[in-house]
Amino acid sequence: MYQKRTIKDITAKHIMFTLTLLVSLLVVVIAWGLFTRSRPILSENSLTALLFSVKWHPTQGQFGFAPFILGTIYVTLVAIVLAVPLAIFSAVFLAEYAPKALRNSFKPVLDLLAGISPVIFGAFGVLVIVPLVQKYLLPVVAHLAKFVPFLATNNFTGFGVFSAGIILAMMIFPIMTQVAEEVIHSIPKEVRDSSLALGATHWETIKYVVLKKSRPGIIAAVILGLARAFGETIAVLMVVGNVVQIPKSLFDAAYTLPALIANNYGEMMSIPLYDSALLLAALILLVVTVFFNILAWLILARVEKAYV
Amino acid sequence: MKKLIIIALALSLLKISSNNVFAQGSELQGTLTLSGAWAIYPTAVAWAEGFQKKYPKVKIDVSAGGAGKGATDAITGLVDIGMVSREPDPAEIKKGITPVYILHDAVFAVINEKNPALESILKKGVNKENFIDSWVNGSIATWDKVAASKVNKPIHLFTRSDSCGAAQSWAGYLGKKQEDLKGIGVYGDPGILEAVKKDPIGIGYNNFSYVFSRDGALANGIRLVPIDSNENGKADADEIYTNRDEAVKAIRAGRYPATRRNYFFVKGKPAGLVREFILFALSEEGVKIVDEVGASLSLATQEREKVLKSLE
Repeated sequence: MYQKRTIKDITAKHIMFTLTLLVSLLVVVIAWGLFTRSRPILSENSLTALLFSVKWHPTQGQFGFAPFILGTIYVTLVAIVLAVPLAIFSAVFLAEYAPKALRNSFKPVLDLLAGISPVIFGAFGVLVIVPLVQKYLLPVVAHLAKFVPFLATNNFTGFGVFSAGIILAMMIFPIMTQVAEEVIHSIPKEVRDSSLALGATHWETIKYVVLKKSRPGIIAAVILGLARAFGETIAVLMVVGNVVQIPKSLFDAAYTLPALIANNYGEMMSIPLYDSALLLAALILLVVTVFFNILAWLILARVEKAYV
Repeated sequence: MKKLIIIALALSLLKISSNNVFAQGSELQGTLTLSGAWAIYPTAVAWAEGFQKKYPKVKIDVSAGGAGKGATDAITGLVDIGMVSREPDPAEIKKGITPVYILHDAVFAVINEKNPALESILKKGVNKENFIDSWVNGSIATWDKVAASKVNKPIHLFTRSDSCGAAQSWAGYLGKKQEDLKGIGVYGDPGILEAVKKDPIGIGYNNFSYVFSRDGALANGIRLVPIDSNENGKADADEIYTNRDEAVKAIRAGRYPATRRNYFFVKGKPAGLVREFILFALSEEGVKIVDEVGASLSLATQEREKVLKSLE
């Protein structure tokens, strides 16, 4: 016969376990729900046809996702290209050069940046970035476009892939910096000391030893940033221009998968297959995001193992 | 799991239906929920305030979220009344929706007050064909072609990114659907207004409720594009609107082409508290509230009587 206390202890344990299990099952439940709802459109069209077709005319029953998928990829790429170097250099500075006080005071700043609501970034984009691109950057670009590829555009509004990329870069910079900084910081002191003892300068040590050692972790940081950028909705939606086309230039307007769902969900009740198409878009997003996260998690787990 | 959900839904439905009852002594009480179009929202909030003042035991919740949300919420029984700023779709009627014609408003083409071709645009007006050529066919790309000016500037075309009543009526006026409208997609009424305010050579379209400020003057930094609806090649005095009163007069007289009807979507036949609220909205008192808010237009007396008759 158990004592009352012990019974309490066991029940508490089981309740908590069940709750944890339920939360972990959430992803599976969401994926299953999206899959069942997107089956109608999959039964009418093959997945490859949907993914590679460029024709998007819901009222005529044409649902080609290619413009949205490519739009999402381009915007994410621009953001990564802009944010990765910044994040790596900031992480190196914080982990290697910054005095402890500065390092500790900078962390809350990063947390704050990571915690700002996306809609604020979006509004900032519309009010500041878009007019700046329109007024100062596009006139220059018009001249450059003669000899640089992927710049020529006939969209001079400032809304487009590049503006969305800038906003996204700001949004994914904190998480990448945080993770990369942790990784660099976790490299054992002995490794640095050996390099310095051989006569290498601090910068050489960072370049040939520290960054080389922390490469997998930094890649994981980039993948986490990628996953966030891929799924970002409202901030991108506000500045990307939402034109259904495959962008041919850095300054063309584009349309992303999350924006497609946010703009139209619940509106097109009367068009057959429309909500099925939107939920398929959601499923694609979910699969990609989960894939990125698992990848990053696997790499980080290996990095941790190496230095424990 | 499914059973649980069904039971929960059934319980919530019971709760909603038991809310709308007349208490003893025939004083109204209960709760009423509305959601939907941005265009109707300000007026609905004011109606709710007026109704609650009259019947203190009634509680009314109004939320926005777009015409689509209103229609969906009304169909799924999430709210008592969905506010929808466009014509009902046959599919929606099939799902048991009774649309009640409650207000009407208009969509206006909006340009920046610093537009270099402003003078010629205001003088000449823009006819439907030009709108179609720029917004649908994409064959007109410069202001000079539209306004016969000599400023040599491209047109920056804006449209709504979210599916909404405003885009559907603007596209409807041009004989098309929202997906056919070209231009940079911007989210929401405030978004498109902001884009035009920031862009001297931009053009967009906005709901009636967004182009005028509270005191009835035009919103800061914008001008309305005169629509040359009689196709005489110039903007006549009654095609140019510089304040709310002038626009209202033209809409009331049926001279403004890009207008639309707004509806309350009710599941089944309006009864109980829902019906009382609609009667209040269509009463003299309700009309006064509409005009005070100034975001939409009330129905003409004849039309009101027709709607009231259909509710009996």
